[in-house]
Amino acid sequence: MSTSGHRSLADQLRAWPDERLAGLLSLRPDLVSPAPHDSGQLASRAATRSSLQRALDQLSRLELYVLDALVVAGHTDPDEVVGLVRAAPEAVRTALGRLLDAALVWEGTSGLRVLTGVSEVHVGGPEAGVSGLRPRSTDPLPAAEVERRVAEVSEQARTMLHAVLDAGGEATSGSSRHTVSPADARTPAEELLSRRLLVRRTDGVVVLPGEVGLVLRGGRTTTEPVDEVPVVPTSSRGADMVARAASGAAFEAVRRVELLLETWGTHPPSALRSGGLGVRDLKAATTLLGLDEAGTALLVETAAAAGLLAQGLGRESEPAWEPTDDYDRWLGLGLAARWRVLVRAWLTSPRMPALVGRKDPAGKTWNALVPELVGAHQVETRRLTLDALASLDPDAVPASGTGLPGVVARVSWLRPRRPRNRAEQVAWAVEEAAVLGMTGLGGLPDYARTLLAGDEDAAVAALDALLPDPVEQVLLQADLTAVAPGPLTSALARRLASVADVESRGGATVYRFTPTSVRRSLDLGWTAAELHDFLGTVSATPVPQPLSYLVDDTARTFGSVRVGAAEAFLRSDDETALAELLHHPRAQTLGLRRIAPTVLVTATPIDVLLPRLRELGAAPVVEGPDGEVRVAAPDQLRARVPRERRAGAAAASRAARAEASVAHVVSAVRSGDRAAASRAEPGAPVSPADALSALREAIEARRTVVIGYVDQQGRRGDRVVDPLRLDGGVLTGFDHRADDEMRFAVHRVHSVRLAD
Amino acid sequence: MNDGPLIVQSDKTLLLEIDHEQAADCRRAIAPFAELERSPEHVHTYRLTPLGLWNARAAGHDAEQVVDTLLEYSRYPVPHSLLVDVAETMARYGRLRLEKHPVHGLVLASTDRPVLEEVLRAKKVAGMLGARIDDDSVAVHPSERGNLKQALLKLGWPAEDYAGYVDGEAHAIDLLEDEWQLRSYQREAADSFWHGGSGVVVLPCGAGKTLVGAASMAHAKATTLILVTNTVSARQWKDELVRRTSLTEDEIGEYSGAVKEVRPVTIATYQVLTMKRKGVYPHLELLDARDWGLIVYDEVHLLPAPIFRMTANLQARRRIGLTATLVREDGREGDVFSLIGPKRYDAPWKDIESQGWIAPADCTEVRVTLPEDERLVYATSEPEERYRLASCTHRKVDVVRDLVRKHAGRPMLVIGQYIEQLDELAAAIDAPVIKGETTVKERQRLFGAFRSGEIDRLVVSKVANFSIDLPSAEVAVQVSGSFGSRQEEAQRLGRLLRPGDPGPHGERKVAKFYTVVSRDTVDADFAQNRQRFLAEQGYAYRIVDAEDLGSEDLTS
Repeated sequence: MSTSGHRSLADQLRAWPDERLAGLLSLRPDLVSPAPHDSGQLASRAATRSSLQRALDQLSRLELYVLDALVVAGHTDPDEVVGLVRAAPEAVRTALGRLLDAALVWEGTSGLRVLTGVSEVHVGGPEAGVSGLRPRSTDPLPAAEVERRVAEVSEQARTMLHAVLDAGGEATSGSSRHTVSPADARTPAEELLSRRLLVRRTDGVVVLPGEVGLVLRGGRTTTEPVDEVPVVPTSSRGADMVARAASGAAFEAVRRVELLLETWGTHPPSALRSGGLGVRDLKAATTLLGLDEAGTALLVETAAAAGLLAQGLGRESEPAWEPTDDYDRWLGLGLAARWRVLVRAWLTSPRMPALVGRKDPAGKTWNALVPELVGAHQVETRRLTLDALASLDPDAVPASGTGLPGVVARVSWLRPRRPRNRAEQVAWAVEEAAVLGMTGLGGLPDYARTLLAGDEDAAVAALDALLPDPVEQVLLQADLTAVAPGPLTSALARRLASVADVESRGGATVYRFTPTSVRRSLDLGWTAAELHDFLGTVSATPVPQPLSYLVDDTARTFGSVRVGAAEAFLRSDDETALAELLHHPRAQTLGLRRIAPTVLVTATPIDVLLPRLRELGAAPVVEGPDGEVRVAAPDQLRARVPRERRAGAAAASRAARAEASVAHVVSAVRSGDRAAASRAEPGAPVSPADALSALREAIEARRTVVIGYVDQQGRRGDRVVDPLRLDGGVLTGFDHRADDEMRFAVHRVHSVRLAD
Repeated sequence: MNDGPLIVQSDKTLLLEIDHEQAADCRRAIAPFAELERSPEHVHTYRLTPLGLWNARAAGHDAEQVVDTLLEYSRYPVPHSLLVDVAETMARYGRLRLEKHPVHGLVLASTDRPVLEEVLRAKKVAGMLGARIDDDSVAVHPSERGNLKQALLKLGWPAEDYAGYVDGEAHAIDLLEDEWQLRSYQREAADSFWHGGSGVVVLPCGAGKTLVGAASMAHAKATTLILVTNTVSARQWKDELVRRTSLTEDEIGEYSGAVKEVRPVTIATYQVLTMKRKGVYPHLELLDARDWGLIVYDEVHLLPAPIFRMTANLQARRRIGLTATLVREDGREGDVFSLIGPKRYDAPWKDIESQGWIAPADCTEVRVTLPEDERLVYATSEPEERYRLASCTHRKVDVVRDLVRKHAGRPMLVIGQYIEQLDELAAAIDAPVIKGETTVKERQRLFGAFRSGEIDRLVVSKVANFSIDLPSAEVAVQVSGSFGSRQEEAQRLGRLLRPGDPGPHGERKVAKFYTVVSRDTVDADFAQNRQRFLAEQGYAYRIVDAEDLGSEDLTS
């Protein structure tokens, strides 16, 4: 550390090497945008209140205490700071280094100096690293002298002194006299004031100077050590147990996301107008996934954060939540790789799924996926929580009951200032991590540690080894079920799901064949032979006879009833007459088709068909929908009376409107004419003062003027105006073009001249 | 990764791959707490239910054992939430206890005060409890012992009953094991019932449940009331007891529509007890006629609702339920659990079959196509008529005739629902028919003749569904049933599963079970239920068309 010192922070920044400057900017990213012009601007921005607040929010409790000690000490040097903080010297020096790097403290010519704004921002209680000591006086008494004076005063006075210290170092002096000598002091307060153990501020408040507080606390800013990082209470669980449980959860999470999106791909839930997901749709998803509401909301939010789910146009062009193209790519990945996509999205997502289903401050229930459901500290809390878990031994998990509070304490030690609901957020992070398989039995498995350490590929490989291998074959059974004893490959799972219904999910999948499911596959274009073939190849054992029978039996009745669309039918008991009609050369264009010996159908509508059939020599009668013969007398055509004729009044009013609009156009044209005419002898631009006087003149003279005016969109134009009033820099006048009273800002008027 | 035979699904089903080398061990380990739902050829499905877990608790298993078993045999990681759920569910059993207090009589006690408080505030139990004795116990009206247990189960806090039983009037009963021996599983079943106090023994049809009842009576050595489904079954119980125990004919009374005797051992039918005249049950006093030491419920899954209500008042007496299945079509398994008791013994069909105690069965469904004219009648008929029309097609008579020809010489039962159809069949294959109107005497004569081999064909209506021993039957053909009831299917198959005497070369019979159904009708829809049931029980099942019946090799 240089001993020379700088005149200002800007100076110091100028002297810093580039790397150190880069370090500062990465510690305080808010300084980067917009890019500052020079070190001076950077320094001044670093000292703004909001930037300081952000910087302090990133400090641990120890760092905050060191900062506090610097504030108390005023100008000081590193060694003194180390002496002031009740903590291991090394830790204090590290903390101090960080404060310097973050430009919260700089090295002035007279020692270390804290940025001026810090003392205003650095407030709170002991949790936030505030000792409650006042800054030292400008000419502090030596510690020994303070000690002596404290020893001198009465017991009552000493109690009072401690009370003031614990109350934050400030008190009102009441009726005490402030200028007394120790000998004249009559009350404990006067005793203290007379010995400068309390000092009167100009506003009548007495304060306890920092040097006195330090003596009372034994030369340090606090009485308790401040560098003790809270330890998470643990119980021991085998690392392999943790890994098994976590990988199980990871597998389930991936499987559930797939199930959810697969379902939503065919039945997308509609998006609310607010952009969220309806309560009922979320409920349906909880049932589908077999999870509680919080878990479901997490998976929905995570899928959306990973870009697997987005709002699209549903079938009826109503906004709906649908899987994205990325989902199809995601399906192509291995299980562990899919998990990585989800976890990465979760780690970097500011979303707060835990709030779903709870009430917001206005008493409205939060819906999943609404845009507002984000929190500034989510990402940080998740990371800190996982880091806290990673600090445990591999075969230790947080103890049940005390584990979570321990994690909360640790996280709040690392980032004590914000947010206020840290405990709640940590609890969310812990629960979410368990659902996603980042933790198992509460502990962090090896693969998750690897992931957090940044080696994602190794993490995926490690998880892959723990997950069940995909299977290619299923066991078919005589009760018409198929059991896949492990996760099926995606393609096989889809094909199987199209011929059988899923009955039970999990590590294995149980499918059931029913006549309906088999018919569904026939609808999709499978043939019975293909089905038999598929079952034969996919089954590890011989296909049970009842299943083959079911396929054949369903295929037998499939398509025995045919449905089609036709405009008209022709039926006759005389088969030959129909045959004749069908083969008549002039009937070709009618598109007749025989569907039974006595029935023809056609796509030609009846009103075309009837005359054509009569031309062909047939004598058809028309059948009504009830099968009765309908006598078809030709309809007499009559047109409807147009509406206008009937409503004379409406027509009149329309005429009036038309006339009015003509008048409007004319007045606009006229005013345009006048403006153009005046433009022939362009008036010189006028100053606002001149414009004011010219306009006043026009008001008095009741003259029409043409003003040059710049409107709010910055367009210049001439207006023909009868000025009426002037007040507050605004002209009110009758605008001929608008045909209405208008207001004009005088400072936008750049020219005034009389109209002809 | 563990390579166990078990896959634990998150929906609480357990899939057991039976070709796995550890499958047998695993089956034994999970049987106490998981209900076997289906056992087709490759993968058996078990289910974890609260009742199943409580049954396990009652049998002395704890949550840790259950969790360890799942973890040990599971191939994949076990869903964490499921383990938590198992532990929580099991912890609910026995938080509340019914005890006998020296001063206050029957009390409900708990060491978990919040649970007690919660229960006390429940509306369901309001009228059943007396004064609060102290923080942890409350008096119970002795008459409400059964109702309270029922209500607590519904609340999800099943109580353990430590209040004990009355000894009842002593009466010497011993097994006479001279020419026969109690089978090992029968002995185990009776023993575990006795040690458990009260409860249900689940054994397949034909596995000798009567003997389990007799063995339990020998344990109790007290006057016994036996409740059975019908008179024929009552007679069989009587014969069996006279033959297998020290009881004599005079000590056993029958209490039925025809005879009303109350003796140290009394066999009553459900029907007579639930008979209602002018709004009262006149025969209910039988339950208090003697100081019974043991009550035996045969076919507990058929126990009618009024008997449940009566049973609620019999909680101080030992009760044993005998059944082939805990599945009740009315879903009242919970009442069986709370009023008769938890499951005390269970052995799957297949196991007992493989030990040779019951005959294996080969099931075939024969599909007939309705002739054109019958199809038309069927298609235009009222929905409630449809099943009868589809079931009673004349094509079925032809099929039955074919089958009779095919299995000539083997004892055969034809079972049906509709009397006209049965009469028609009887005429077609020249066999006697037993139906509701047949007198008990005539029935017994015909059953006797069938058993002795005098006649080898019998047409029976649903009266023969239950508790009639026809060990010689080798072929059964069912032509109609009561709308695809699974439990009926189990009973009918049970007629066949009683092992006959081994043949001259020691070979056992393979029972043939035919179901004749009409294709494309509700009959076939119902048949699907039955088919599923049989396949789930692990029986080989085939479907053939009636036209192909001749070419099939059915004699194997």
